[in-house]
Amino acid sequence: MERRALPSTRETGFRALARTLAGMAAVAGLAMGSAALAESNTASRTMAVSGSTPEICALQPGAVQTGSLVNMTGLDGDTLRVAQFADPTTLAVRAANATLSISAVCNFPHKVRVQSENNGMWPGDGRQALDAHGFTSAVPYQARVTWNGASNTLETDARVRHQVEDELSVNMPAAGSVELHVEIAPGASNSQANAPLLAGTYTDTLRIFLEPL
Amino acid sequence: MIRKSSLALALALLGSTMAHAQTETAASTTASRAFTVTGNVPVICAGGALTGGDSTFALGVLVNTTTGLLRTDLAAPNKVLSGAFCSALSTISIAATRMTAQNVTAPAPSGFSTGVDFTATASGWTTTPASVNTAASTNPEATQSRATPFTGDITVGLSNFATTGGSTLRPVADTSYLGSVTVTLTAAN
Repeated sequence: MERRALPSTRETGFRALARTLAGMAAVAGLAMGSAALAESNTASRTMAVSGSTPEICALQPGAVQTGSLVNMTGLDGDTLRVAQFADPTTLAVRAANATLSISAVCNFPHKVRVQSENNGMWPGDGRQALDAHGFTSAVPYQARVTWNGASNTLETDARVRHQVEDELSVNMPAAGSVELHVEIAPGASNSQANAPLLAGTYTDTLRIFLEPL
Repeated sequence: MIRKSSLALALALLGSTMAHAQTETAASTTASRAFTVTGNVPVICAGGALTGGDSTFALGVLVNTTTGLLRTDLAAPNKVLSGAFCSALSTISIAATRMTAQNVTAPAPSGFSTGVDFTATASGWTTTPASVNTAASTNPEATQSRATPFTGDITVGLSNFATTGGSTLRPVADTSYLGSVTVTLTAAN
């Protein structure tokens, strides 16, 4: 039976030391390895940038389109005045029209609503309907709104004094200019064409709304 | 006595070992053995701790609610990366994506936009701050180099907000516009 020589005490000591160093190296290596996993030659940070845009509709004050006034004196504040409402001879309504441009924006799908408060131009005496046979007691007119390539016309008939309105849907955001064309036809009447006007000051309030669908 | 015998034996063994050592030293007057102690410092960069609130540049409402146009006073407090370091020469890079509407997926109609661009700047690391503009096709200033190891704060700020496509366009309504800014430190190996 072969006997293996026992290592000397010193050899045993060096080997033990070598094993210890090797063990330490291994431990160090593990430590470095884990450090390498956690640390890198590249470090990066990402930050978000956030904001929001609320739903907005806005209308600016209107302005008369150049050259669009026919028998109108123009805008006085928000009032559009007819220069000569009645023919001085027949008292029939004279034609008049004007186009206003109103800068506007809606940054979401919306609608335009046009509203006549009185369904025509009525005297300021509070009368409610036709009450003088053969005369014009209220004057119909039409208001055409053009917006974002589409248009809609509100026709008032001045038969009964009440609020009327019409609307136009716009299924996308839109920005630009709302065109409002107000037209009073010659001889317009709530009685019969060219019927003479009763004395009075005739008015109506026309409103435009940009609002959610 | 048994106790005395045992003691004598121990001394004999000790004497034998001493004699053996004397034999070794007799071969050379000096014996030495060198052990190398080594260590290394890996090339490391760390991004530091983010201060200045959370990690979001919150701009709030982006538009003037009268005109619908992008606000001209948009601003958000800077963010600071405190204690960033690189253990070797390094580069700092900044990248950013424009803010885009998250809920409106349709293309913006004429006159509108679904994006907001901005410039993001990271300063404090290099003499020339690293900056990127989300509207630009190239951003040569986005990467800057530093020739020495460094530790310090990096200040990240936003500026030059602009509606994507032009200042006459209006951002479409959306409850969430999101973009991002990424700062990267890279040490040379």
